[in-house]
Amino acid sequence: MKMINNLLYSFKKYKFLLSQLVSRDFKVKYKRSVLGVLWSLLYPVLTMAVMALVFSHMFKTNVPGVNYLVYLMSGLVIFNYFSEASNLAMSSVVANFSLINKVYMPKYIFPLSKCLFIGINFLLTLIPLYVLILLTGTGVNIYHLLLPYMFACLFLFTVGMGFILSTISVFMRDMFYIYGVVITLWTYMTPIMYDMSFIPSNLLIIFKLNPLYWFVKFARDIILYDVVPGLNVWIYCAVFAVVFFLIGIFVFKKNQDKFIYYV
Amino acid sequence: MTKNEVMIEVENVSMRFNLGIEKGFSLKQGFVNLFKKKKEKKKKNEFWALRDVDYKVKRGEVVGFIGSNGAGKSTMLKVVAGVMKPTKGQVKVYGNICPMIELGAGFDMQLTARENIYLNGAVLGYSKELIDSKFDDIVEFSELRDFLDVPVQNFSSGMIARLAFSVATIVEPEVLIVDEILSVGDIAFQAKSEEKMLSMINGGTTVLYVSHSIEAIKKICNRVIWIEQGTIKKIGGVEICDQYIEYMNGK
Repeated sequence: MKMINNLLYSFKKYKFLLSQLVSRDFKVKYKRSVLGVLWSLLYPVLTMAVMALVFSHMFKTNVPGVNYLVYLMSGLVIFNYFSEASNLAMSSVVANFSLINKVYMPKYIFPLSKCLFIGINFLLTLIPLYVLILLTGTGVNIYHLLLPYMFACLFLFTVGMGFILSTISVFMRDMFYIYGVVITLWTYMTPIMYDMSFIPSNLLIIFKLNPLYWFVKFARDIILYDVVPGLNVWIYCAVFAVVFFLIGIFVFKKNQDKFIYYV
Repeated sequence: MTKNEVMIEVENVSMRFNLGIEKGFSLKQGFVNLFKKKKEKKKKNEFWALRDVDYKVKRGEVVGFIGSNGAGKSTMLKVVAGVMKPTKGQVKVYGNICPMIELGAGFDMQLTARENIYLNGAVLGYSKELIDSKFDDIVEFSELRDFLDVPVQNFSSGMIARLAFSVATIVEPEVLIVDEILSVGDIAFQAKSEEKMLSMINGGTTVLYVSHSIEAIKKICNRVIWIEQGTIKKIGGVEICDQYIEYMNGK
């Protein structure tokens, strides 16, 4: 109880710092670019266009019964949030060593601010996704109101991963390189551009251990198949989110006092 | 709010650094370490920056820290400021701290002066309301009104230091921690910043002050702690300064 109180107090105290860090990232990101924040909308569209070109035209990939562009985009938007946010969160503690070394502040604020910053970016990328949904005639339904549940799970999962990764990278800078490879592998292990029916049934279990599979499935069930995701999807999303979030907090909290020695 | 109220309690604080760490954060080293005996690993390259340091500071005291380079003065300040957690012992500070260990922490060179005032303020733990209300004072003191919307990367180092100093000193902290930063900017601003520091110090704030300028210590401190090789060599009044000078000359 006391711990929760402390946490709330520190959160209240550092809310302003958190908002300043997030707004700093935003200002710096688009400084001196002509299109500015429009890039947040354009970038996913362009990535999707490239992927669509490669996969649907060269490899003739198709997902029966749904619009392939929307299929691609819905997976991409979710995966990109995770990969960008976890990557930035990973380097956030090391990047802010000069601060940590001078002023006291709770260190969790750095990975958290990165996840929030990319989170706002993620909400912006929903705009091109919805434009695409309308343009392709996929259409929206009332179940779309359930999507924020998945967003929350995705956020918690990413924050948890951010805590774990940033802790490891403080002690072992190799993590930056390792994670780059891991993310590439992860991209192909998540059904972003292909359908699960491609996967041999004996490998299915491995793909289903991937938390992102469930987040993407949750979104696609609603967006593409107009159904409420099954109970198991809801549960998997929540379990992965909460478990990784708690592990992240535990790992980070246990090690944060040692960070200062590894500057 | 009595004069004898204890503001800072430093109890048996020891601080250990591992000098070998610099080499040890790659996988290769980790792998090599796997085959080493535990004791062998631990004993190597240990360095105690502070050893059983124990003292109390009362409200309103201005404490100066002296000692040769690497004696542990800055580590001492960082431990009190909460930047570092002591390996052993504990530190209690009753009241809000303004750590002026290094100015301009968190400045983002790409942002404008205006944006940096808010960012740096947030880093120092100020609330939005406080910065809003003191914004004009900060700008006034730094004399940078004409450059408010210029990115800080176009500033000279003196201008950055002035901005940083102005942001750091708008609060009225109960505990002020200063690590040799009195002289920033040009001559006019140096005089102004020194006056500002002195008025903060004389305003009844509790101050921990590190300096190699014995003159400055003698001028503003009413208690002196002499640290040598991580332990307290002497505590007392400003007369310690003379013993310290003798010691340093004899070296």
